[in-house]
Amino acid sequence: MKNNILIIGGGPAGLEASAQLQRMGYNVILIEKSPKLGGHLAKWDRLFPDSVPADEVLGGLLRGSEGVKCFTDTDVRAINRLDKSYNVRLTNGITVLSDAVLVASGFDLFDAVKKEEYGYGIYDQVMTNADLEAYFKTGSDRRIENPGRIGFAHCVGSRDEKSGCRSCSKVCCATAVKQAIEMKQAFPQAEVYCFYMDLRLFGRHYEDLYLKAQKEYGIRFIRGRLAEVSENYDGTLQVKAEDTVAGKPLKVTLDLLVLMAGMRPSASGKAIGDLLEMAVEEDGYFAVRSGIAACQRSPIPGIFLAGAATGPKTLPETLADARAAAMEIDRYLTEIFPDARNYKQLVRERW
Amino acid sequence: MTPLFHLLAAQAADPEVIDRIPSGYSHFVIPFTIGITFMLCWIGVGCIRLLYAIPQADRLKFWKSLFLPKTIVKNLKDLFGDCLLHVKIWQRKPLLGYMHSAIAFGWFMLIVLGHIEVALFVPARLNVTRGGLFYPIFYRYFVWMNPGHTTLRGSFFFFLMDFFLLYVLSGIALAVFKRFRSIVLGMRHTTKPSFADRVALYSLWMIFPLRLLAESFTADLSGGSFLTVGVNHFWHFLFGDKLWFTPCWWAYSICLGLFFAAMPFSRYMHILTEVLWILLRNAGIQPHHPRKGVAEAEIYACSSCGLCLDACPMNVQKKNLKYSSVYFIRFLRRHNEKKINAIADKCLMCDKCHALCPVGVDAPALRRAQRATVNNALPYDYSYLASAVSSGQPSGHGRVHSRFAAAEYGLGPAAVPETALTESKSPRVLYFAGCMTHLTPRIIKSVDKVFKAAGVDYVFADREGGICCGRPLMLAGRTEAAAVVIEANKKMIEESGCDTLVLSCPICFKVFKEEYHLAGIKVVHYTQFINDLIISGRLPVQKKEQKLVYHDPCELGRGCGVYFEPRAALNQLGTLVKASKEYDESICCGGSLGSLTLDSRDRSKISEASLDSLLANDPETIVTACPLCLKTFSEAVSNVRGRDINVSVKDFAEVVCP
Repeated sequence: MKNNILIIGGGPAGLEASAQLQRMGYNVILIEKSPKLGGHLAKWDRLFPDSVPADEVLGGLLRGSEGVKCFTDTDVRAINRLDKSYNVRLTNGITVLSDAVLVASGFDLFDAVKKEEYGYGIYDQVMTNADLEAYFKTGSDRRIENPGRIGFAHCVGSRDEKSGCRSCSKVCCATAVKQAIEMKQAFPQAEVYCFYMDLRLFGRHYEDLYLKAQKEYGIRFIRGRLAEVSENYDGTLQVKAEDTVAGKPLKVTLDLLVLMAGMRPSASGKAIGDLLEMAVEEDGYFAVRSGIAACQRSPIPGIFLAGAATGPKTLPETLADARAAAMEIDRYLTEIFPDARNYKQLVRERW
Repeated sequence: MTPLFHLLAAQAADPEVIDRIPSGYSHFVIPFTIGITFMLCWIGVGCIRLLYAIPQADRLKFWKSLFLPKTIVKNLKDLFGDCLLHVKIWQRKPLLGYMHSAIAFGWFMLIVLGHIEVALFVPARLNVTRGGLFYPIFYRYFVWMNPGHTTLRGSFFFFLMDFFLLYVLSGIALAVFKRFRSIVLGMRHTTKPSFADRVALYSLWMIFPLRLLAESFTADLSGGSFLTVGVNHFWHFLFGDKLWFTPCWWAYSICLGLFFAAMPFSRYMHILTEVLWILLRNAGIQPHHPRKGVAEAEIYACSSCGLCLDACPMNVQKKNLKYSSVYFIRFLRRHNEKKINAIADKCLMCDKCHALCPVGVDAPALRRAQRATVNNALPYDYSYLASAVSSGQPSGHGRVHSRFAAAEYGLGPAAVPETALTESKSPRVLYFAGCMTHLTPRIIKSVDKVFKAAGVDYVFADREGGICCGRPLMLAGRTEAAAVVIEANKKMIEESGCDTLVLSCPICFKVFKEEYHLAGIKVVHYTQFINDLIISGRLPVQKKEQKLVYHDPCELGRGCGVYFEPRAALNQLGTLVKASKEYDESICCGGSLGSLTLDSRDRSKISEASLDSLLANDPETIVTACPLCLKTFSEAVSNVRGRDINVSVKDFAEVVCP
């Protein structure tokens, strides 16, 4: 039992799945298009809800997947399906004959430049959630200089038909609450506002985090979407919104505005999907065999999916999804794949 | 050869035309007479009702306009150009233009010439009591040419009548062909005819072949020229001397009768109502109601030709055909309230159907009027605005003045605007960005750059966000709410003491130009203003190696007629390439706020079609002069599927001052 398994994407999902599959005794090849493993996790500082350092989690994942054959700076050049397996040509010149392929291509953050009315890339004092995490990691950002008033805009590029995404990105509400607290910790004198549509704090401890933000940190939550942002002559920002609880239009001057950019299907994942002719749903994420009973199986036999490639997920969900994918791959490679004579019939019945 | 004076002498002695049937009547005229009498009564009553429904002041304006030399000239020009020759169709689709003018102008000439013949040869028959209604139409049946007494004058008319009959027949042949393959004549989609349309259509097709048949059978009695005489010889060759012309005249009369009887219920009513509509239109009367008064003339003037089907940007998807102006007008005509409202709300209000309409039916105006009937009655609660004012939040009337003051004196203690410091109390140039521009702040930044580069002292009227210009409310049919907004803005602008108002949003521009009536203040779009700056040399520009394409925003191009200035300026900045559809045929970007119900997926299909047209000549940059187009295209270029495009979308001011 030494089947080759190719895992595309070295983020949390890819790392966790490769660790599990390696433990089961498979020959795992992990490819990552960027120079570094870890995906978005590597760029994050601390994680909600308990402010666990991201490095710690990533370290655990990397330790678990030690020994996996891993190619960074590598992408897929071509894939063709043989009888049962896949012949995958990589950009580093290596060709892999793989019995199962796991696509863990993850997500891209919504490009906040597209939401022009919020002024990212136009006004100096507007940043994104990712920029703020980078600041927490490095401790320096030219935009952050003892800000007096900080605003967080939820749902930027998610739940917004106008920016082409109707669905919720799941993680931004909790991230915003976490980052608001962290900013308050860093700048105790600052006034912090969160502009939200409604707060989707569904996970364990999330609600506690929200209560803590209000009670202990005095963060002001304003229910109402930002309408537009303009810049004052001194570089501060003028934010227009509506407080829908009070039923009043509202104008606030801010020193810093943080946009909670949502999740979009990753561009490199789309390229892989095009190579494999994989079906995508209207939201741009990959279609799965069944949204309830087979979330890790793609409609194509032998191709599996894990993590945010099939829609926004929180980190624990992604890890669980990766483990489930490993189980599914194992089941496929032991039950269906080896039976060469009845392969087609088995695929029909059990895929 | 007989000398000419002999002919003249002969004519004096013996009449050229002899009444073959002295009574001047035959039973076959009955169907035609019934048909035309019904139609004339119907239109007579209709006209009286229509004029009665127009407000008193408008009615007076209408009667006066009929005697003003300027409108008389325009009326004559439009009646000839639009009703008879169909100049507007000729310009865009020559074959289609030929078809329409062949039928309309040809038929018109046949009627006129027929009457002239009667007037010349048997003038007594023009009297209504002696069959004046039908006699000129069936003239050839009732007369007998005195052989050997035919004059040059008679031959001339024979020739003309045959010539115009052939002309009409060629038009009819094209029309029949168009039913099966409309694309050859330049139409991708054609309208689905209603039942009455079909009756009228098929009888119209039959009228002229039957006329040829009938007149050719009688050609050896009542005369004819190259066509009828030629066909007459052919019949003689086929059937010998046995010619049954009575059934042919019966059939001809029945078809005419059927056509006229179906006319009031069919699209062909436009033949007559178009005249009334052109007169009303040129008198400058606007519809106040989507169904009454002027609107009624407009509705009946629609020829249901279907040119608006191909024009409508929504029709990149076949499922949207039903929302086109032609069907909107058809349902208005039928008082189908449910469908009217759904169709009225769907429209993007890009005005292309109006611009391309051969009769100039302003369907978007009717849709607006229709929206007003519903939306003005909707209850809205603005009470919170009062409380917002008292708590220091800006809104409503009270806000206008304070907002303007803020623009002049700075935003508060923290920020003092540079312009305000150098500004005298009354600014010369006032820049009003509008809501849409506030959603695309790069335009504001670029306009500021341009103004600074040209040394224009200006005051930013709505730096802190102003109140809406009122146009979106008007487009939504909320005319009364729009009036309140317009009044408030007007006060603010008049108090500013400016002499030029610059707008970067064509939506604002249109309403400021048309509804505000700002005395002594020049209202210009920034493309015009900047082009003037370039021409006068105040703004130095450099031509660069760049391929630009310009998108005509609906409200700026078709809405305000600004096509030239942005292109003139862009020609100074780079190489301007053509889009496949431009000027008044430009395709809406899909982002228009005119539509109340069109969803984002349908809109993105429109954006794709519009982009396709713009990218026809591989430009590097798409330039537009409307914040809404800018936003829509910026998003659309990154979403175009299955194509590798590398094109940037920029605002006009961004290209001027990069």
